[in-house]
Amino acid sequence: MTHERFRTLLAACIVVVFVALIGMMVALSNPDPVDSNRYLALNVEETGASNRVAGIYLNYRLLDTLLEVLVFSVAVLGVRHYLQHSEGIQLSSLSESEVVQTAVSFLTPLALLLCAFFAIFGHISPGGGFAAGVIAASGLLYVAIAHGMKAMEARLNPWRLARIEKAILLILLAFVLAPIALGKSPLSDLLPKGTPGELLSGGSILIYNVLIGMKVFLGAWLVIAAFAQHRGEL
Amino acid sequence: MIARWILLALLPVVAAIALFQSRRLSAIIGMGLFSFMLAAVYLLMNAPDVAITEATIGAALVTAIYVLAIRRTGRLTVVADEVPGLLAREGDHIVGLEYEILEGFARHIGLDLSIQFVPLRRVRWLVAHQEADLGAGGMIRRTDSEGALASTPVHLETGVFAFSNGRQETESAPLGGIPDYQGYFSELLAHDRQGTLSAVVGSLDLARVLSLGRVGAGLQDLGRVEGDYGYAFLVPRQRAKLRKDYAAYLAQLRESGQLARLIKRHFS
Repeated sequence: MTHERFRTLLAACIVVVFVALIGMMVALSNPDPVDSNRYLALNVEETGASNRVAGIYLNYRLLDTLLEVLVFSVAVLGVRHYLQHSEGIQLSSLSESEVVQTAVSFLTPLALLLCAFFAIFGHISPGGGFAAGVIAASGLLYVAIAHGMKAMEARLNPWRLARIEKAILLILLAFVLAPIALGKSPLSDLLPKGTPGELLSGGSILIYNVLIGMKVFLGAWLVIAAFAQHRGEL
Repeated sequence: MIARWILLALLPVVAAIALFQSRRLSAIIGMGLFSFMLAAVYLLMNAPDVAITEATIGAALVTAIYVLAIRRTGRLTVVADEVPGLLAREGDHIVGLEYEILEGFARHIGLDLSIQFVPLRRVRWLVAHQEADLGAGGMIRRTDSEGALASTPVHLETGVFAFSNGRQETESAPLGGIPDYQGYFSELLAHDRQGTLSAVVGSLDLARVLSLGRVGAGLQDLGRVEGDYGYAFLVPRQRAKLRKDYAAYLAQLRESGQLARLIKRHFS
């Protein structure tokens, strides 16, 4: 069997396993039809997150969010897979003026700080992992525009980042499936709820936010880097 | 409440402004502004999470990706040989007849003009390999219909002069009397002073002759070459749309009498 075919088979196996796991989750969990007003009335009490939106999409609707993360991962995987065979274009590097470079070096640390804030405080205040990841990726993209892609790639090795990105997906899935080992239904929250409004509250929502933030940041950056590398220098 | 309605009413206005910008960067900034206003509407509707997502995706990420996309396509890259009167540096500025035509054309099609001065032969090479959109700086209109290089219509008539010592007759023949030399035009000045000009170049066009003559040099042995010559811009043959757009722009410039006024201002 050739290397290429083995990889295709492996990918197919992974997809089948994921589909089976998700089917198992749906079969094992026992959804009871509820009045949607319950989400508003009991949300904070039941999830421990004072941001009700985070409470819904990272607790009641965690399965939906998980599938969204999977969709995003497949998109990143697809872009990188299909671009790796296309020939890199060698164009002369463009760098921007001093004004742009200075503005970017002032704004990027602020963007990264905002990213950390949104990820860590996503269950208390507006924000969340997705917005945090996009902000950090935009910050890096502005640096790439100002200083050129080559300077960025020297510091952030895309190959290593791709491995971290996949590892985060596995950690996320492991975290979601861990309750099975303790005899509970999957997707249930193992961590204590805490007092709503405090940093350590809302059960696992803080961890999900941080993981999703890192995942979106790395994924978005990898897509941008792949396009820059194979379709033209930034 | 009122603020929300005002913002909602302004949204289509901002969208229309973004749509009708001819300069691409302005259109992108208009789109970013639209996203920011939409984010403000979400915020006023008590949906701060959605507002944050709209602002990060619409205003930050998408704007950055569009800025990247237009970095090459958003500018009209012109490579040129520096010829005083037609296209030359003067202090921090670039001046000349061709500069004004190019500046007007770039604005007309919504691009930012970017001019790089390179040696004469490099101008032809870069345009032929589509590394640049246009070649300028005293380029004689070519009449051949083959090859990677094409010409735009003539914007100024000129004459070509050749040294009569015979050597260049054969060498410059492939280019049909079009001036050809190594390096920059400014480097010819030194040869001119030393009197070795005819050894490095076979023929010269009117703008270059005038420019060399201004420094007071020996341009003896120069004889006018028969034929109609005119200045035009070089353009890659495959860029048919750019050629058509420029031809239309030049025709409009000529009809309105603006070209005649420009020529009069630069050469009288």
